[in-house]
Amino acid sequence: MSENDAQADQDWLQRLQCSDEQALAALMKKYYTDLYSYASRFTKDEGLIKDCIQEVFISLWQRRDTAAPILSLRYYLLRAAKNKVLKSLHRKVYKTDTLDGQESYDFYQEFSVERFIIEKQVSEEKAAALRNILQQLSKRQHEVIYLKFYQRLDHGQIADLMNISRQSVYNLLHEALQKLHGLWHAEYLTK
Amino acid sequence: MKDYRLFDITDFVMDEDFIRWVYERRPEDEAAWHAWLTRNPDKHLLVAEARSILESVYIAPPVLTEPEIEQETARLLQTIRQQPAEAPVRTVNRVKWRTWYTVAAAVLVACVTGGLYFFSGRGTAAASFTWEKMTASRQLIENVNTSDKPITIALPDGSAISLAPGSRVGYANHFDSSATRDVYLSGEAFFEVTKNPDRPFRVFANEIVTKVLGTSFTVRSFEKDTTIQVIVRTGKVTVYSQAVTNTRRSATDHKPGEVILTPNQQLVYEKTAQKFQKVLLDDPLLIIPRVKEQKMEYEEAGLIGVFNELSKAYGISIVYDSELFEKCTVTADLRNETFYHKLDLICSAIGASYEVIDGQVVIQSNGCQ
Repeated sequence: MSENDAQADQDWLQRLQCSDEQALAALMKKYYTDLYSYASRFTKDEGLIKDCIQEVFISLWQRRDTAAPILSLRYYLLRAAKNKVLKSLHRKVYKTDTLDGQESYDFYQEFSVERFIIEKQVSEEKAAALRNILQQLSKRQHEVIYLKFYQRLDHGQIADLMNISRQSVYNLLHEALQKLHGLWHAEYLTK
Repeated sequence: MKDYRLFDITDFVMDEDFIRWVYERRPEDEAAWHAWLTRNPDKHLLVAEARSILESVYIAPPVLTEPEIEQETARLLQTIRQQPAEAPVRTVNRVKWRTWYTVAAAVLVACVTGGLYFFSGRGTAAASFTWEKMTASRQLIENVNTSDKPITIALPDGSAISLAPGSRVGYANHFDSSATRDVYLSGEAFFEVTKNPDRPFRVFANEIVTKVLGTSFTVRSFEKDTTIQVIVRTGKVTVYSQAVTNTRRSATDHKPGEVILTPNQQLVYEKTAQKFQKVLLDDPLLIIPRVKEQKMEYEEAGLIGVFNELSKAYGISIVYDSELFEKCTVTADLRNETFYHKLDLICSAIGASYEVIDGQVVIQSNGCQ
């Protein structure tokens, strides 16, 4: 998240406070793909994802007069999307609303491994080893990697979003990276 | 600009700017990283590995068309226009929201106080080693270089200091009669120290101390810099942090946290992180006479012998698996090439690669066919 980007978000939020609909539309366009990407980790139901994103932005519009500042809009929106999606899923599955914050959820993730293997001309043996490593990653590791590298959140935000400690975030990431590092280390030959 | 020379592989993989470069390939990032790699050729391998790690966990964005997003935006605007201003849309769990602001507020407070703590903390740490603090209680002979060229200062023991512009040094007026030869530096200077094993020569520069018996080296420690650097040309020096020396040990003790530097090695001390890192110079110099270098033309020569000669010529240790290379031979003309180019030539000849770790060259290879 670059300085300029953060500043741009704050400018839009300022305009939102003055009930500027165009600011809301602009923010939706800016974040739609990333929110859709995140929501689709929890469910494959496209209609549900779209409705949830609608609700996230309706809520954002409704809270426009509240004084509480949004420090990181990306974090705020992702968190809202996750909450909305998991809530709707639970309503669908159990027809009840028993959320105690410790819900377990599926996290579907596909790495673009094949593209990488073709581009880098990775040997068949390495490719198999890489697929193997990625398969062995836990759901939580998947989520940490996703939030760190795709959504570029910082460790504190990831910890808050996943309800785990910063140390756990670090450990989960570190363990995954160690395995990958082991795979690439010594692979490097001067071309 | 962060000092990426201090980064290990995990630091790179976790670094926001690095991630952006790998995933987004913006032209401005390409240019900046390319320039950095040109300046730090020994980091190519580390960067290549970090890139591979990032590329292998790449996640493609979902396929959403422009019209789809437009349509959803239109739907949103329609919804909010239909809302009477005061009516709540659906039931939003108020309690949840409130806890959330508290989190946001708590994060804000933590960041702000963290920031203050960091600055004040850093202030005191740095302040305890300013020029004034270092020299206040001592009677020193001081030299300041206000010109725009280095000046040479001769010390009573026969050592010489070449003092860079905008720098100052001080030494005790009883320099010749004390147990250690202590010099205080703010800025940059090159030292040529006469050998005297009984009286160690020490350079105090902000937080770090460089101790030598007789050698030549450079210390760069301007207060405005975020790093302190020590570069060794000949001989051997030890460097340690002042925080350690203040525990009142004798000056000749070998302390924990000491770093030993040999020729062509550079030590970078990062003030904020308070950590040392050894790096090799961008262009290591020969420490043997040029005449000897003229013999570095090899034909079917044993690889291990070549590495040993190279290591001796530059005083840089080269680490490899000797069992792997036992039967390897190499044919190469290494005369009049820079150190790194010599390494490149050897490595491409045997299909190996190298990386520089902690001031040492580590050769990676699967052996030779």
